[in-house]
Amino acid sequence: MTIPTLVTFLIYLVGMFVIGVIFYKMTNNLSDYVLGGRKLGGAVAALSAGASDMSSWLLLGLPGAMYLGGMSEIWLPIGLATGAYLNWQFMARRLRLYTEAAGDSITIPDFLENRFRDKSKLLRMVSAVFILIFFAFYASSGLVGGATLFQNSFGWDYTTALWIGVAVIITYTFLGGFLAVSWTDFFQGIIMFLALVIVPFVAISELGGWRETISAVGTVDPSHLDAFAGTSAIGIISLLAWGLGYFGQPHIITRFMAIRSEEEIPKARLIGMTWMVLSLFGAIFTGFVGIAYFSAAGEGGALADGSHETVFILFSQLLFNEWISGFLLAAILAAIMSTIDSQLLVSSSALAEDFYKGYLRPKASDLELVWVGRIGVVAIALIATVLAYNPDSTVLELVQYAWAGFGAVFGPVLLLALFWRRTTMGGALAGMLTGGVTVILWALPSEGIFALYELVPGFIFAGIAVIIVSLMQKPPNKEITEEFDKVDTM
Amino acid sequence: MTETLTAATWFWLLVPMPILIILSCITFVTENRKQRRNRS
Repeated sequence: MTIPTLVTFLIYLVGMFVIGVIFYKMTNNLSDYVLGGRKLGGAVAALSAGASDMSSWLLLGLPGAMYLGGMSEIWLPIGLATGAYLNWQFMARRLRLYTEAAGDSITIPDFLENRFRDKSKLLRMVSAVFILIFFAFYASSGLVGGATLFQNSFGWDYTTALWIGVAVIITYTFLGGFLAVSWTDFFQGIIMFLALVIVPFVAISELGGWRETISAVGTVDPSHLDAFAGTSAIGIISLLAWGLGYFGQPHIITRFMAIRSEEEIPKARLIGMTWMVLSLFGAIFTGFVGIAYFSAAGEGGALADGSHETVFILFSQLLFNEWISGFLLAAILAAIMSTIDSQLLVSSSALAEDFYKGYLRPKASDLELVWVGRIGVVAIALIATVLAYNPDSTVLELVQYAWAGFGAVFGPVLLLALFWRRTTMGGALAGMLTGGVTVILWALPSEGIFALYELVPGFIFAGIAVIIVSLMQKPPNKEITEEFDKVDTM
Repeated sequence: MTETLTAATWFWLLVPMPILIILSCITFVTENRKQRRNRS
């Protein structure tokens, strides 16, 4: 590791740590720790939602996929951007208002229990279990990305790199909770954005311009210039369908719940979507120009050994001086950390609010709950680390599983809970179970119709289950429908 | 022959995602206007 790279990295890490310490002093209760006391401004909510959403996949996975498949991979970013927009447009405001109206709910399980007046606590338990299971996979995928980064950049041993990454993330999440996570995510989002603008711009310039880049890619393989080459209807639908997952990602939609006021949402949506679309374009072009830059050397050039997900890292090392290279590598770490910290926090809130307070100690003090949350962060991080021990797990495969799981379990249930007055507690429970089971079973075979991304059937079947079971049960009582109507008038 | 992106690829690359930014701009203006009206 060179001195400039090390210094850049250290400045970045110290900055994250300082934010953690600042917000440590401002965290007085569990609501502060897991939701920042609903004080998030529009810009911070937007960029922190974006940075939490886009993990290492944005800087490693997507450029790698573009490098391998060319323009036929653009369906996934299109699906994601569309899903994110619809999420901001339809879910954000309603969720912000409803979670406050329904007993000032601070977690998704908490909201579901309060929304349906579920005295059995079944909704809380089932949803919290799903959160803990899927986030363990999800966070582990980020850790794999982080360890790969250190391994490739500094030549560190994979296991050592894994533990260093975990230690850094735990430190500031443990200390500062939601506000630290949101503010670090905000700065991390800016770093990611700058990196994704700079790298493809410089790489394309190096090749002589956009036209020359396209021509060089076409020379390597003309099919890389066609969005439909090598694709099928099922393939395109599967990639577009990733957008459905947004409605059920707890680490993203908690930003909606935490926003200061619903009046901030239009501004947040504009900032968030601009950030996301431009960042996605940056990732697309990084992978695309990588085809021309590296494959032109024959047999894939520097990426011939199958390490296609390191195309961004290679560019940052080859095209820039060591100071900028250090900054660009810090951007990857930022992408990874900004996602894992949010996931750890949501998981720890499930442990502290939904299990500990919900079942074990309903009268636990605020300080006690904050500390249970902090211990939860460490515990879940350790489980994710164990899952990430296999360096052969590719980032995209693990994220795909967790993304589908959340999308199917929570997406249809939350949408119907927010917008359909007739939804019942039994319907919500049936929807969550159907969504989760469908995703797990659908992913087992992979031929024929089962090649379709499991989120699609999971989402559809879960929605159908909510509607059918709700209609089979007695309509919700007056207290529930009055609350629903009150939110309607807000 | 100079290679280039197909017309369909240009369309899918440059239309759907930028449209989302434009939609966000439009809703930002319309919703802000609505909020101001409600306040007054």
